[in-house]
Amino acid sequence: MLNGEQGHVIARALKTLVHYGKAFGAQRLVPIKSAHLAGSFGSISYSAYYIVLEQFIKAGLRVKVPTTINPRPGHDLNLLNRIAFGKQNALDFKMQQLGVTPNYSCVCYEKDNVPNVGDCLAWSESSAVQFANSVLGARTNRNSLLIDLCSAITGFTPEFGYLLDENRRGRILVKLKISKMDSAALGFIIGREVVNKVPVIEHFNFSRTELKNMGGAMAAAGGIAMFHVEGLTPEAPDMKTVFANAPPEATITITQDDLQNLQTKKPQQAELVVFGCPQLTYEETIELAEYFKENRSKKNIWFCMIPEAKLRFEQTDLYKNIRKNGVQVFSHCPLSALTVQISRKKVLTPSGKLFYYLKGAEYSSLDECIKTCREM
Amino acid sequence: MQKLTGDVVVKGVGSGQALVTQMPINFAAALAGVSSIIPGKRGVIQDRQHELFQKNIKGKVLVFPTCIGSTFTGMVLMQLMYKKEAPVAMIIQNSDSLLVAGVILAEVWFNCGIPVVEYRGKDLYDKILTGDTVEVNGDTGEIKIYRETTQ
Repeated sequence: MLNGEQGHVIARALKTLVHYGKAFGAQRLVPIKSAHLAGSFGSISYSAYYIVLEQFIKAGLRVKVPTTINPRPGHDLNLLNRIAFGKQNALDFKMQQLGVTPNYSCVCYEKDNVPNVGDCLAWSESSAVQFANSVLGARTNRNSLLIDLCSAITGFTPEFGYLLDENRRGRILVKLKISKMDSAALGFIIGREVVNKVPVIEHFNFSRTELKNMGGAMAAAGGIAMFHVEGLTPEAPDMKTVFANAPPEATITITQDDLQNLQTKKPQQAELVVFGCPQLTYEETIELAEYFKENRSKKNIWFCMIPEAKLRFEQTDLYKNIRKNGVQVFSHCPLSALTVQISRKKVLTPSGKLFYYLKGAEYSSLDECIKTCREM
Repeated sequence: MQKLTGDVVVKGVGSGQALVTQMPINFAAALAGVSSIIPGKRGVIQDRQHELFQKNIKGKVLVFPTCIGSTFTGMVLMQLMYKKEAPVAMIIQNSDSLLVAGVILAEVWFNCGIPVVEYRGKDLYDKILTGDTVEVNGDTGEIKIYRETTQ
């Protein structure tokens, strides 16, 4: 393939992976079970990206493994979004030509792209990478956009980093002195403190949803590709195993005060409260929507859901009730949708990831955000 | 002139004025937004949480600890190099898959990569200061630092 027997474009895709692997001492390329792409925003500023996609399409290439893709950017929200993401329809069509599953979700592991323990993957999207490695026990590096597609097109990824046992073991011990859990805030602080090592969190019985939201925050505020929770995640049955019998390189303690310091002092100033970054699952939405079925909130409220989950949710009475009360239900990425707006409403969110990326956004815990929305 | 020797991450040679930060950079947050489509402004750091906020990295030798954040990083960097608004070289303490991806993509698809050298030593920030003229040899890993002495 590298010598061009299968065409020079696929040879180039493979060459990209070889060079990329060499920079990290990879000895070989290994086959992958699936890919997940982050390049789903049809922004007018990414001309180089489209040039490469066009070359793949002209060469008649299609993905060799099941491949999912991140959310759309909210390109149809208003005029400015329509301009900024003016390439969206063209990009969607390109992805269709390449054979990509049109799931349009960063929570691809919920339904459309579910890896097994030990599977080698080539995923991008930091929050999905985090979940696949940490919670599902699959193996992927934090791949960049286009590297993910080079892997999907060739079916290979270079073997280094989080594909190898020695890089997956715990490095930093995280002790908790927390009476009331706020998983997104915890993830944010761990990301900031640990930056890019593998943290092991003392046992806490996090739900799957909490793990998703904690991981998303950790991968935004830091460069963490994998975490463990003692006695909960698959590669951390106990401290001895997860640290491979070695002592932690460092120990940090996160307290209730640390979580508290992240919370905005004035949540009531918010004009728009955004839930769902990473996108809300069906179960998460049902639980959340209960709080909004009785009364209309004074705040603007956005739910950003996995598209497939949104379709199911739309069939429920609960959906009709919260829509009647003014809650807006979307399936786009709230971050990209809001980033391009010039005079934006004051945003409050319980998402550590959205809080990190969106300029001017404020953070409150999920409970506090719900309370703020319900204040009369 | 002082010399440091680091590990080659991406080959090539480049020299220019150093821009040094000890804060990890989230390039997706740093270089995204409306200004990323305006020529001449593409290399300006937009991340308010970063100490290089509003500094332009174009033509500089960027010296920093590591990359954090989004997997958009590679594409953002590739676009920057494709539009010729990137640093001329980078010196990084811990090279990271996203940064390298961006540079390799620019090299393989557009022939416009830049040298990247990894230097893990803690003395990096003593040896190179913002404003020094730095030559980065990405073939040997050699870093030459020239400082203008006042007088």
